[in-house]
Amino acid sequence: MECNGCEFHSELYYDSEYQIWLRREHDDSLTVGMTDISQTIAGKILHVRVRRPGTIREPGKPVATIESGKWAGPIPNFIHCVILEGNIEVLENPVLLNSDPYNAWIARVEASAGVDAALEAFLTGDEAHEGYCRRARDEDIHCQRKVR
Amino acid sequence: MSADVDHYLDNDEKTVVIVMTSGPSTPQRCATPFYLGAIMASMDVEVHVFFTMEGVRLMQRGVAESFAAMEDGKKIIDFIRDAKRAGVTLHVCQPALPGYKIDEDNDLIEEVDHVSRASVLADLVLRSDNVITF
Repeated sequence: MECNGCEFHSELYYDSEYQIWLRREHDDSLTVGMTDISQTIAGKILHVRVRRPGTIREPGKPVATIESGKWAGPIPNFIHCVILEGNIEVLENPVLLNSDPYNAWIARVEASAGVDAALEAFLTGDEAHEGYCRRARDEDIHCQRKVR
Repeated sequence: MSADVDHYLDNDEKTVVIVMTSGPSTPQRCATPFYLGAIMASMDVEVHVFFTMEGVRLMQRGVAESFAAMEDGKKIIDFIRDAKRAGVTLHVCQPALPGYKIDEDNDLIEEVDHVSRASVLADLVLRSDNVITF
């Protein structure tokens, strides 16, 4: 499913600005990644660093930092969680976030208050699709998943 | 890449002050402080950028929108906004404003957090872990 060429996965959970996606895993951990919109805005990603496993992160305290040629900043975090692991494949080859943003996850975290409570504030399904398309359309974002 | 490269962050929280004296006359010096500030803020560093001397012109309405650090590059205002989104605090030096005919009530961009006296800069420098100047 796409909007302005921006890939969208209806089974995932999204923040209200569609910066990150979350996926519930079988062990009730959460996987965190960047959306196609975010990787497009960032440009070619050159460096990723994740908080060390075991670190407690409060809402507003980033899970990871990203550097591209024209942008540096956080992978935002909206939940109280503990870092479980970073994706070593992405840490060693960050441009995977550009080429395959929904497979190239960044980190896995454990939500302190449980996964159901954590996901309550996120959007999914048709509602997320509508908002995702609205952002792409309103900001005239046309996604590219090739390495620039 | 070697296996001993450390991809993980575990720095303690620190405070860093960036003293920004460069302005539109040296455009190539006007993006890095914001890029560096953004990455440090996203690493849980408390980052303050204090604009003084020609640096105050970057906080003047219309100026940072008008130029880039390199030809056809991203405008300085966009670097400023990235830094703000990451949590950087922006101070403008009040004593420097009259020299550039900048009215603190009408001429500053909305991204400015504080119009501060030199004593604020002194306090920031004295309590910070590191000071960087551009």
